[in-house]
Amino acid sequence: MTCQDVEQRLSRFVDGDLDADEQASVSSHLDTCAGCRAIASDLTRVRDAARALGPVAPPEHIWLEIAGQIRLGDRLTPADAPTPPPRVSSTMWQWVGLAAGLVLVTLVAYLVIHLRAPVPATTTAGNGGAPGSVESVAQELSLALEHYDKAIAQLEVLAKNNDGTIDATTAATLQHNLSVIDQAIAESRAALAADPQSQPALDSLIDALRRKVGVLQTTVALMNEIRRGNQEGAARVAAGAGRS
Amino acid sequence: MSEAGSGHRDLALAERCRAGAPGAFEELYRAHAPRLFGLACRMVGRTEAEDLLQDIFLTAHRKLALYKGESSLGTWLFRLATNQCLDYLRSRGARLSQLTDTLDDDPVSVGVGTMRSAVDRLDLERGLATLPPGCRTVFVLHDVEGLEHREIAALLGISDGTSKSQLHKARYRLRAALITQPAGARGKH
Repeated sequence: MTCQDVEQRLSRFVDGDLDADEQASVSSHLDTCAGCRAIASDLTRVRDAARALGPVAPPEHIWLEIAGQIRLGDRLTPADAPTPPPRVSSTMWQWVGLAAGLVLVTLVAYLVIHLRAPVPATTTAGNGGAPGSVESVAQELSLALEHYDKAIAQLEVLAKNNDGTIDATTAATLQHNLSVIDQAIAESRAALAADPQSQPALDSLIDALRRKVGVLQTTVALMNEIRRGNQEGAARVAAGAGRS
Repeated sequence: MSEAGSGHRDLALAERCRAGAPGAFEELYRAHAPRLFGLACRMVGRTEAEDLLQDIFLTAHRKLALYKGESSLGTWLFRLATNQCLDYLRSRGARLSQLTDTLDDDPVSVGVGTMRSAVDRLDLERGLATLPPGCRTVFVLHDVEGLEHREIAALLGISDGTSKSQLHKARYRLRAALITQPAGARGKH
């Protein structure tokens, strides 16, 4: 075998994939040819290095985006279900960030509500006490507010960079709903500042937060439907936005 | 854990996902996303891989009802992910069979010199990213993921021989890239 013959077989040789005769011929050539032997060694190291390449940890925002998409998908009718699922363009990072923020807000707001629910008269012997509920609720509430503020900030950036995805009428409706809720949030915060132990003020703030999250989710759902080109789905979401 | 135990656990997790149990789908994601993300990064590039990973798991979420436990969840997801990556490459006009045919006519330089004794992982990843999609796909599936040529041939719709030929080209191209990379460029980008 010439060096050229051997080079054409080296990749299969290092895998032991040649038939016995060829394997022996190549092996015999390598015994006497340092150049081909070096190439065989290199190919082996490339292969072994490839085998050692491990998994790659994905950025955390991907899971948040998936979770958000599933949540939004669950809210749509089967006919509107994303088949195939929508691709979030890498140029739409602002939406990824917003969606991630929304998931966090929703999750934390849910936790706040969930934590608070059994505290009043419904407390039973089994879960009685709910130790430290005031502190934990305060902490969770603080987290919720922090994430909430972050999501709002991101939404405001988007609004300023309005690319016309949402038509002006719908955008105005959403903005109006947000303004009303913002006012409720401001009033609740003021009441809580005056009386940090006020249960009605806390209830009111949490309710306003929930409504705000709902409007934001509707906004994202609407954007997704429009980007998918699903006018029917967008119209349905927009109609829902008008009612919220 | 035994194979039977693992299979039982996979079925149980799939069932919890289907039932919408809190945390179940996230558990599935956490267990399998790193491998699938690595696959996608190497097949289509990191930026597109982030979008693709979303598609893969959203598709998995929709199709979990079809999972009957004939294979492990990992295998089921890997197959799904590979097909999504291939669909993506095809959607970009990169018909793999055409690419591999083209590459078959493209002689591979043996290269002059030898590689460093230890192959740097980042250098290898960079070299991989420069390969044409056809031979890169075969290299990733065979050398990184450990698939057999017959499995790759079935996935790509090519012959075993073409799969072997593409692997040969990919390895030589990578070797050339690793030989010629200037020392000053290491660790940058």
